[in-house]
Amino acid sequence: MPEHDPEQELGPKISSAFRSQADAASELRGSGLAGEARRRVRKRRQALTMAAAAAVVAVAIGGVWNVAGSQSPSSSTAADSSSKEAAGSATGSGKTPPGIVAPREEVGCPPDHPILKGGGPNAVAEGTGLDLATQVSGLQACRYGLTPGATTLLGQQRFDATVAQQVIDAIKVLPERNPDLPVFKCTPRDAQPSEAIVLRFDTPEGIREVWVEYDGCDSAGFFTGSHTYGLYPAPLKLFMVGSVRPGGGTFLSALKGW
Amino acid sequence: MEAALAAAEARTGPIDFELWVTEKADALLRFAYVLTGDTALAEDAVQDALTTACARWSRVSRADDPEAYVKRMVVNAHISWWRRFRRREAPSPDPIRSAPAAADGATARAESDAVWALCATLPDKQRAAVVLRFYEELSYAEIGVLLHCAEATARSHVHRALAALKTTLSKEGAEDA
Repeated sequence: MPEHDPEQELGPKISSAFRSQADAASELRGSGLAGEARRRVRKRRQALTMAAAAAVVAVAIGGVWNVAGSQSPSSSTAADSSSKEAAGSATGSGKTPPGIVAPREEVGCPPDHPILKGGGPNAVAEGTGLDLATQVSGLQACRYGLTPGATTLLGQQRFDATVAQQVIDAIKVLPERNPDLPVFKCTPRDAQPSEAIVLRFDTPEGIREVWVEYDGCDSAGFFTGSHTYGLYPAPLKLFMVGSVRPGGGTFLSALKGW
Repeated sequence: MEAALAAAEARTGPIDFELWVTEKADALLRFAYVLTGDTALAEDAVQDALTTACARWSRVSRADDPEAYVKRMVVNAHISWWRRFRRREAPSPDPIRSAPAAADGATARAESDAVWALCATLPDKQRAAVVLRFYEELSYAEIGVLLHCAEATARSHVHRALAALKTTLSKEGAEDA
């Protein structure tokens, strides 16, 4: 018995079925499509214009607030003293994007942080690493340049309690390492990352840290001193903003969506 | 020459869109209906595609074949994840052959209904590939471009769909006999 090509056998039937069904679908309503399309486009453009205007107003207000803030340090000090417990939930409102709050001097990034002394990600001192089950009320992300002889604070960004908790929630579900990241063999000198980020969380017990390594060729991930979590983009994109966002990194090159 | 330029310029004007839609709406809706198998979804997909086309009409209207361009938008919208997600909220009855075997002149109609009902059971991409192949009569290379897959994958979609249809039709043919 000869084998028929199913395309030749069924093709005409399918073609005919499609055409007859399309012919029979008389209830299809073609009138007003263009008008409705124009109306929707107008509506979209109006929404975009409104959003852009709102963004411009927000930026303008933020700019004025920053100028005012920088000219009268006493007012920011007053604001700080009134909200020492809540990390900027009030001070941040209306002048910066959601989740990012104004830096506070007393919780700013220390210019001589231990990470600058090298020693790798396991050098998180005992008692300073964050237990991810701890309740947090804010986060200061500190980006440090680790190039020998030129160590420095590259940038810092303060986040409110919501973002701080989101970062923890995104980290604590991660496995110990990300198998998709490349594995390198390199000399100890090359293994040294050129930069790293220290996440300094406000907790009832004081500042607790998570070190984030994403450069060099030795190790990558989130380090608490007692636990290691693999480097994945979900937590990174929450805090890698503004001056804390690196231009790149050995392991970041292999990650997408950070 | 000036007249040609003026005509070309006029093609980008607002009235051109209305005229074009008036002329092509029927074909677009029929295509979308065959693709989706549902009048409401078809109208929805065409409306969304026309809205997108309207927003960038000056570019769409300069395409070699604006109708093909808009049909591509309809296909993209149909196979996009969010539209599939939205469709899940409106469950349809079990896809079984609804047309009984009929005698005389009604046989062709019954077979057409059966094929239509069976096509409704195909996964979205397979159905889209079948529609593009047998309704739009596109080559596998063209289908691959439209479905964002390789030509071989497009061919595979169609052949899998045909195999499934053939199996079901054969089985039901045996049951009818």
